[in-house]
Amino acid sequence: MDGHEVNIRTQRLFKAFRGDKKEVVALKDFALDVDEGEFVCLLGPSGCGKTTVLRIIAGLETKSDGQVVVSGEEVTGAGPNRGVVFQEFALFPWRTVKKNIEFGLEMKNLPLAEREAVSSRYIDLVNLEGFEDAHPQQLSGGMKQRVGIARALANDPAVLLMDEPFGALDAQTRNLMQKELLRIWAATKKTILFVTHSVDEAVYLADRIVVMTARPGKVKQVIPVGLPRPRDRTSAEFISIRGEVLEVLEEEFEKTMMRELSKTVVEHKT
Amino acid sequence: MQSLFELARDAISRNWKRALLAIVSVAVFVVAWNLYSSYLDANLSGYREYVPAPAEVVEAFIDSFQTPGTTGLLMTDHIFASLKRVFLGFVLALALAVPSGLLMGRYPVAEGLGMPIVEIFRPIPPIAWIPVFSVVLGYLWGPIAIVFLGIFFPVLYNIMLGVKSVDPLLVDAAKTLGAERKHIFFKVILPFTTPYLMTGIKVGLGIGWMCIVAAEMVGAYGGGVGFYIWDTAESKLFDYAYAGIAVIAILGILTTGVASQVERRLYAWMGMK
Repeated sequence: MDGHEVNIRTQRLFKAFRGDKKEVVALKDFALDVDEGEFVCLLGPSGCGKTTVLRIIAGLETKSDGQVVVSGEEVTGAGPNRGVVFQEFALFPWRTVKKNIEFGLEMKNLPLAEREAVSSRYIDLVNLEGFEDAHPQQLSGGMKQRVGIARALANDPAVLLMDEPFGALDAQTRNLMQKELLRIWAATKKTILFVTHSVDEAVYLADRIVVMTARPGKVKQVIPVGLPRPRDRTSAEFISIRGEVLEVLEEEFEKTMMRELSKTVVEHKT
Repeated sequence: MQSLFELARDAISRNWKRALLAIVSVAVFVVAWNLYSSYLDANLSGYREYVPAPAEVVEAFIDSFQTPGTTGLLMTDHIFASLKRVFLGFVLALALAVPSGLLMGRYPVAEGLGMPIVEIFRPIPPIAWIPVFSVVLGYLWGPIAIVFLGIFFPVLYNIMLGVKSVDPLLVDAAKTLGAERKHIFFKVILPFTTPYLMTGIKVGLGIGWMCIVAAEMVGAYGGGVGFYIWDTAESKLFDYAYAGIAVIAILGILTTGVASQVERRLYAWMGMK
């Protein structure tokens, strides 16, 4: 492992959804490589297909064409070598924190003692000691997502796919969770692909920011963030990179907006 | 802590008020009933036997457990006969409705095949089948079949609804954690559906009790509370008929009480409120 081994490779990714009347092309010739241990943020205007990219890599969505390879294996469906963290947490409400985290281990038929050893390790990692037997409904949003992260990590996946994981949290919790995620990332050395629409979040977290175009989505620009961590949101370098990303993104926002506008005008006429 | 204490105190005082109101409500009813009964006694003695006094009903209630009636059966025999039928109908209904509901909720083909039949038979009150079943299936299985019908449809319908309501995101999450089809079924769909099953069972049991009383009135081997009510009323032993009705009320309350307890335990165990 020299840190440059490719862990996630997508090539010529193409995705079309069948709409009511016509096909909607969500992704067109999307290509992205993520190195082992790298933290990449996927950023783009809403509806650009960034979640679709993540779901295809997770194996939850089929691709129309192209190739997805994770850890040297072609992706054909969902599997435990790719952990997914969902914006809506997607925890099993009838399971305790501990049992949620052990879900993947049960699928592997691991003996109880081993399952408990693993879950307690990840409960420690995400700082949920004392909440092992709580049910998700009793937890705050931030704590729920800690469970979500621990549950995904307990399977020891090669990569962690995170779909706007902090999107449902308030601003303070969000900042705290970003810090926590960086700590967990440093401790586990996982490859992370993180979907977000927050420029600030992307600049704070990522090694590289991949900005997508408006639909049909493809890679518009890759912006490396060379800042050392922990990053200071108020530093001049941070603000300058933020400005750069924002500029690239705004062109795409405008395109999306123009399209929405023209659609409204057309709908108005008919 | 102060507020927690106040909360507890409020809950207790609220419950006290409710208990007091319940006592007042029942007391007013019994007094009014007693007054009406003695009014009939004094003025329209011909109708007196139709409305026995509360004390007479209580007396008949106790006597029905001690002295065998015209059929040579004690009230406990009738109760067990009815319970047995409700239980058998309930078990058969669950055994068939649960798998059918799961299949129909999960597979559109099964739903397409099953729904027309369900839609045809569901609106028919189960008691409409009593005459036919009594003749075709006899007095032993006829009443059980009626109870079966009463419980089958609510359970089937609720399970199907439950399966269709499964959050697709939970299925996605399970898949990414390595779940295969059987895991998704047993570890996601089944637990998700449990509250729906409990609703179906509670509704079904209520209907089941109505069905059994009606079915037993037409005729049932080995007695039954419904049979008892019919038999005593026909013999103009109205105090005993009312005692039979009281037994039905108590059994109904007990069954739903047990179902609610099971439900509460189940939800506590599953961590749901």
